[in-house]
Amino acid sequence: MDFAGTTVVEDLSFDVKRGETFGFLGSNGSGKTTTLRALLGIYLPTAGVLHIDGRPFTPEAGSRLGYLPEERGLYKKESVLTVMTYFGELKGLSKKAAASWSMNYLERVGMADKAKARVDKLSGGQQQKVQLGVTIMNDPELLILDEPTKGFDPVNRRLLMDIIEEQKRAGATVLMVTHQMEEVERLCDRVILLKGGRAEAYGTIPEVQNQYGGTMIRVGYSGEIPESPHYEISLRDRNYAELTLIGTVDEALILRDLVGAGVLVRSFTTSKLSLEEIFVSVYGEQNEMVGA
Amino acid sequence: MCMASRTKWWVPEMGRNNLRTVIGFEVGRTLGKKKFWFITLLVPIAIGIVIALVSLGNSTAASTIDAQSDAKLTFTYSDASGYVDPAVATALGGTAVTDDAVAIAGVKSGDEDAHFVYPADPAKTPTQVYGVDKGLFGNGEYEGVATQVLIISAQDQIGDPSLTALAQGSVSVTSTTFTDGEEAAGFMGMIPPLVFLLIFFLVFVLLSNQMLTSTLEEKENRVTEMILTTLNPTVLISGKIISLFIVGFVQVLVFLVPALVAYVVFRTSLNLPEVDLSSLTFDPIQMIIGALLALGGFALFTGTLVAIGAVMPTAKDAGSWFSTLIILMIVPLYSLSLILSDPNSPVVQIFTYFPYSAPITAMLRNAFGSLAGWEAAIVITELFLLSAIVLQLAARLFRYGSIEYTTRVSFKTAFARPKATSTAQR
Repeated sequence: MDFAGTTVVEDLSFDVKRGETFGFLGSNGSGKTTTLRALLGIYLPTAGVLHIDGRPFTPEAGSRLGYLPEERGLYKKESVLTVMTYFGELKGLSKKAAASWSMNYLERVGMADKAKARVDKLSGGQQQKVQLGVTIMNDPELLILDEPTKGFDPVNRRLLMDIIEEQKRAGATVLMVTHQMEEVERLCDRVILLKGGRAEAYGTIPEVQNQYGGTMIRVGYSGEIPESPHYEISLRDRNYAELTLIGTVDEALILRDLVGAGVLVRSFTTSKLSLEEIFVSVYGEQNEMVGA
Repeated sequence: MCMASRTKWWVPEMGRNNLRTVIGFEVGRTLGKKKFWFITLLVPIAIGIVIALVSLGNSTAASTIDAQSDAKLTFTYSDASGYVDPAVATALGGTAVTDDAVAIAGVKSGDEDAHFVYPADPAKTPTQVYGVDKGLFGNGEYEGVATQVLIISAQDQIGDPSLTALAQGSVSVTSTTFTDGEEAAGFMGMIPPLVFLLIFFLVFVLLSNQMLTSTLEEKENRVTEMILTTLNPTVLISGKIISLFIVGFVQVLVFLVPALVAYVVFRTSLNLPEVDLSSLTFDPIQMIIGALLALGGFALFTGTLVAIGAVMPTAKDAGSWFSTLIILMIVPLYSLSLILSDPNSPVVQIFTYFPYSAPITAMLRNAFGSLAGWEAAIVITELFLLSAIVLQLAARLFRYGSIEYTTRVSFKTAFARPKATSTAQR
């Protein structure tokens, strides 16, 4: 994808399997939203193709797609029920069915009393809930969520995650952009990490952990930890060290090498790098986690 | 939450036309707003109030005049002309006197209502009327009676009512002119085609602001990205244009129905002239051309305003373009005399074929009979063709402009993305 001569996304290839939840990760400007917009036909790639169910997306298929864009917005001067019913009709429901679905949803999220309120009279969080409702109307086959929890407080974030999980259980394929790594670890089957418009890592979470950082060994010891081609010493204190394994190495072999080198090993624990640790190691320290 | 069983992703009904839904939503939310009705009803209510006040005023004035007419006027008069028939003057309440000064003194003291001094030649010298002040309407009666005395006296002397009518200039003339051997319609043939100009102008004045802001709303509310994934932008914009037309039709009805009712019910009390529709001449060709020009012009201006709305980030930014468009549209009206007198002049020709001045120029020329058939065909084709292009352009700009929330989209940028917009056409 080129914009005014600048390449935003390049050489990117991935697939999302039916029924899975796929995490789209990356720092600001890494090309996540651009890729989603290309997927939805808002942009078309300068080269290459993006398909949903084997063909390019067209708006006519939108009734089975739930898209929550990064830039949120609704018809602000209209009532909540009017807006939801309108989108429901556009997604193929009858007016009556759309209104009924909307009322059930509003009740579910504790907003039944706001059905006739104008959208611009709602709080930001309430508007987010309405937007999510519009997104999941008519039981979409594919949910594309661009930072779905942005603007939610912890209580409503949990509610939203429950709803996404519910959609997933009902068979929806979910593609979500998020900076909340705990959400990714909780929900996603597979992820892709974008950096500079290219795939930095791609696969299941364990695969990515192996691919990017692999296993970490925490060692309590006395003596001198030797250098080794099998690990990198991430942290070394007087009696404590963290060793990041390079490639696929048997942890028992490391322990044997340490003992063999005369190190008195007091404790030896292994753990995988968390996604957040991988994210930070890939993109560097970033204080602000806002969308691309 | 109830989750229905999921169906196959690609099913035929997914490709259905959402045009009706868009029209229903747009029309419903416009007509459902109190503000719309407040603004729309403001004009007929204002007209109603004016009619009521005028009607009341006329009624009061008529009552006053009637009351004053019922009271018998008595007057004195002197006649130097010899035209006044004493019998006529007496019948109307007059008494002949010879001393004007005494008679005027009698009026001043209130002993007499009025005194008229007829000069030797009433056709050249004004008749002098003196009377007791009876107010604006009452004082008119003196002149009326003084004039009636002379007219009836003159009629009696002529002895022939027809001659009298001719002498008074009561002559009607009916003209018949011919063009290419056919009877020309004349002025009454110009009025019906001009109705399309009136409708075009009225609809544009009423709806232009809504046309401009119709897509800006989606943009300003950041709602277009969701819309674009459920709806083809061409369908959305077409729906909006049709909705605007329906809303405009409702507004015109709200304006016209009270006006028609007022005309029918209050025509007499408002002293409005009676319109004889039978005297209007309807040329079917002219009417069809007028209708097509109005429709093509409406489509072109609406599409253009929608395109401007799609390009500009806010309504304020769109304002200057909007003004330019209005100027282009109405500039032919400033050359009305030229359009009437010299339709083949280069200026009128440019106005006729330049798309944004074409609707009004061509509609005027059509009504005045100076627009040839081939010229009308070119202008109509041009308007509809350009409307279709502008509609596609508006859809393209809307599609790309929808996600440029804070900056103006340049045409160059929009057209630099042929691929990115091509799905909108599918």
